[in-house]
Amino acid sequence: MAQLQLREAIRAAMVEEMDRDEDIFLMGEEVAQYNGAYKVSEGMLARFGEKRVIDTPISENGFAGLGIGAAMNGLRPIIEFMTWNFAFVAIDQIINNAAKIRYMSGGQFKFPIVFRGPNGAAGQLAATHNTSVESIYSQFPGLKVISISNPDDAKGLLKSAIRDDDPVIFLESEFMYGMRGEVSDEEDYTIPIGKARIAREGDAVTIVGHNKSYWRAMEAAEMLAADGYAAEVIDPRTIRPFDWDTVVASVKKTNRLVIVDESNPFASVSSEIAFQIQSRCFDDLDAPIMRVTAKDVPAPYAKNLMEYYMPSAEDTYRACRKVMYLD
Amino acid sequence: MPKMTDTMEEGVLVAWMAEEGDAISAGDVIAQVETDKATMDVEAYDDGVLLKKVVEEGDAIPIGGLIAVLGKAGEDAAAVLAQYGQGGDGASLAPEASAEAAQPSAAAPSGDGAPTEAVGRVKASPLARKLAIDHGLDLRTVRGSGPEGRIIKRDIEAMLAQGMAAPAAPAQAPAPPPAVAPAPARAPKPAPAPARAPTPVVAEEGYESVRISQMRKAIARRLAESKYTAPHFYLTIDLEMERAIAVRQKINAQAEEQGTQKISYNDLITKACAVALRQHPQVNASYMADDGEIRRYNYIHIGVAVAVDEGLVTPVLRNADRKGLAELAAETRALAARARERKLQPDEMAGSTFTTSNLGMFGIEEFTAIINPPNACILAIGAIRDVPVVKDGEIVPGKRMKVTLSCDHRVVDGATGAQFLQTLRHYLEEPLNLLL
Repeated sequence: MAQLQLREAIRAAMVEEMDRDEDIFLMGEEVAQYNGAYKVSEGMLARFGEKRVIDTPISENGFAGLGIGAAMNGLRPIIEFMTWNFAFVAIDQIINNAAKIRYMSGGQFKFPIVFRGPNGAAGQLAATHNTSVESIYSQFPGLKVISISNPDDAKGLLKSAIRDDDPVIFLESEFMYGMRGEVSDEEDYTIPIGKARIAREGDAVTIVGHNKSYWRAMEAAEMLAADGYAAEVIDPRTIRPFDWDTVVASVKKTNRLVIVDESNPFASVSSEIAFQIQSRCFDDLDAPIMRVTAKDVPAPYAKNLMEYYMPSAEDTYRACRKVMYLD
Repeated sequence: MPKMTDTMEEGVLVAWMAEEGDAISAGDVIAQVETDKATMDVEAYDDGVLLKKVVEEGDAIPIGGLIAVLGKAGEDAAAVLAQYGQGGDGASLAPEASAEAAQPSAAAPSGDGAPTEAVGRVKASPLARKLAIDHGLDLRTVRGSGPEGRIIKRDIEAMLAQGMAAPAAPAQAPAPPPAVAPAPARAPKPAPAPARAPTPVVAEEGYESVRISQMRKAIARRLAESKYTAPHFYLTIDLEMERAIAVRQKINAQAEEQGTQKISYNDLITKACAVALRQHPQVNASYMADDGEIRRYNYIHIGVAVAVDEGLVTPVLRNADRKGLAELAAETRALAARARERKLQPDEMAGSTFTTSNLGMFGIEEFTAIINPPNACILAIGAIRDVPVVKDGEIVPGKRMKVTLSCDHRVVDGATGAQFLQTLRHYLEEPLNLLL
């Protein structure tokens, strides 16, 4: 097992795929000359040349559309957004073209395209640079949405995303690019889209968390372990299509569910998980489903307020104790 | 009066643990109540001040009956009762209060710890509702421990655990396990000889009135129910015990030397039953009429009847098939001792899948026991007798022990029971087989 940073794991996935298939190219702001705003694409220009690693102007709507057109014509673009906050100006391309034309053309066009970049909170960057977008994109049939929490999943799932013939929204994290983790050495390592990972087994409560929230879930599970309770932690990894079976099986065992989700709460991924689970597991629930989310305000700038705004391990721990009827 | 065990119908308030005027927090023990199972603590469910104790120590109060009034400091207990109604029919407060509170009490027992609140709708988690349906429990009889009295999984489980705790079976007589340590104390002492002189004739014939204890009521109800609903039949075999005796002697000689746990015949029989049950899941079963199914358990929990002062209880040896003889022996002794001190908790008497009852130490040759519901069978164990037996055409001294299996014919047929006994014979006549 190699120890890689998250950025290195993402790079390894792209490099391996681009070595394998010359129809794949990477395009985005500062991906080439500057080696990537977060050094994800470091060395890729030198390796693949400027026809396959392409710097763009600050024009998200333009290069997103350009990528979609390329995908419709048989290429397999990887479009990097410097952050998903900036993709809001490209959202018409993603939602009205990438997500829908396969359907509207009766399957005449495929969209083998990956849109990737950091999602969600990134520290004191204030309201416009701290948005979590997974619920927005997962609302639209036609898009696949992946949100990763560690280098191994990043590599395995990005390779699968690049090979997929549908448009994939691939959500990373600025906070986690430097995070190291073991990555499988297996040759041509892929992880199937749509399979959750049970990160920790337990029978006392199920905690579901993706991306950074996965780590809050794990910390809360550790706190519960200190109290003598075994929490089951599930990282869904793919938001859409969601792996309901894994969460359902877990809730049937634990009879209670807490969801950690750093999005604003209204109509978030946590809302959908709560809806699905109450509907699929109604008779298995011994307590209301609880969720721990960002506060229902735009992200603040001040450090203390930002800490308060984000879902914490402590909040998660308390929610778990509540659904376990311990407090 | 809260419903503290599934089978209790009333509780005797043994002792008050709080005084009128005391500030009470939720969870404080306010009284001790003797149920049909054990003496248990009654905890307050809310904060407040104990305004009035409505019953005296020693009073028996039906479930849902009023025992005390908990309110705010300075509140008038009678006024509280008048306001909220006095549902319980177990006791009444001051006459003026009961007059005011002449509300129908049917579904609305009031007071702390009453299983249901007067507000009508029962709050329960979806899982608790499903479990209640699965087990035929009436949610209105369950006390909710969740927020605002919500009934949750653990409440149902506690209820079920208590429900399985059958004060068990043999109706004929109390049945102390044979060699369980403190047992000798229980063995019948030669009663002091009745007065040698002719008893003086009393002026009037009379009788002593003995209060029927909660435990005795439970025995009466459960065993009658068992005998009425489970069609019993009985299978008796006579076992050669020479090898079992020799094995036990060897084990105990070694235990003596090493200062480890000695074992009794009963431990050996428990072990043999457990191992035999593993091979006969049809016997390790229950007829669940309400659920329309026969349950075959994948675990083996053996209840052992233990005589106590007021009757008998059946502590349960869990997973007896997976425990060694010494472990079974030690656990049986510990449970029996706790049983005699009435310190067994309901969960320690709950969940048996098979029961044994042993009257061997009383010299009983054989007897039939009443099945301990919801078990399918109970094994009644007689004494080991010295008998002449014919071996190779010669009459020689032998050691024999009769055991009788009572079977619930709804679950177990004659051949099934007989096959189980064959297996039991295989283990007890040659205990080395237990090693295999």
